[in-house]
Amino acid sequence: MGEPSKIGPTGDMRALIEQIAKALVDDPAQVSVNQVEEAGESVLELTVGPNDLGRVIGKQGRTARAMRNLLSAAGLKFNKRFTLEILE
Amino acid sequence: MAIPDKIAAANKINDLLKGIVANGGLRLKYRITVDPPLAEQRDWERPEILVEFVGPDSPLLLERGGELLRSIEFLALEMLRLPGNEHEKVCFDCMNHRGMRLEELRLAAGVAAEKVRKTKMPYEFAPMSSRERRIVHLALRDQSDLRTQSEGEGLRRYVVVYPENYKPAMGKPSRKTLP
Repeated sequence: MGEPSKIGPTGDMRALIEQIAKALVDDPAQVSVNQVEEAGESVLELTVGPNDLGRVIGKQGRTARAMRNLLSAAGLKFNKRFTLEILE
Repeated sequence: MAIPDKIAAANKINDLLKGIVANGGLRLKYRITVDPPLAEQRDWERPEILVEFVGPDSPLLLERGGELLRSIEFLALEMLRLPGNEHEKVCFDCMNHRGMRLEELRLAAGVAAEKVRKTKMPYEFAPMSSRERRIVHLALRDQSDLRTQSEGEGLRRYVVVYPENYKPAMGKPSRKTLP
């Protein structure tokens, strides 16, 4: 099993967060991610169903932290700052 | 308890990683092995699903003590909804990071044990994940003149090594907690 990775930085951070959030929640249909460009950074606004907030935040915020780690690591490759905001 | 359907779980991990690697623009490949052969000297660690990464972005996964590797692993565990005590059934690795960290922790445990014997004072490790604390506890389990316990809360939890008959001085009361 395993898939070869695409070569080169062709990433899509909005799709990245959407895909992970959909894998985590009970109701993937209610997941949406909106990308907003602000001064020097991209803000990714994640919305999930009301019962799924805990799934994307996690105990002590660990799930949200893991997604932010991934965003900042991948962002490095694009020389761009990404911020994840989870909207209630 | 084993993971109910390991093949289904491995396929879900594959779908998640396929997306993370492509969307994240990460130059990584990975191999997922169900019921991998046990590594020597790690008899108590029995992952049922092993994920190994290789590729030019491996150093990115391993920065700051493997922070990104652990983050991706954590997201996979959350996706599978494994209870905390079953987290070790899924193991993410890259460039034998786990094996080397295990060796480091065992050496550190040995040094701490000697220090506690000499000074007759407790030794506090830096905060670690539950898996790493477990490695330290297990490394010292046969030392009958010492005992270990985990203290602190949440992400700040750390291992303390005590002389077996240590009586805490005034001040900070010792709190017995599970590892």
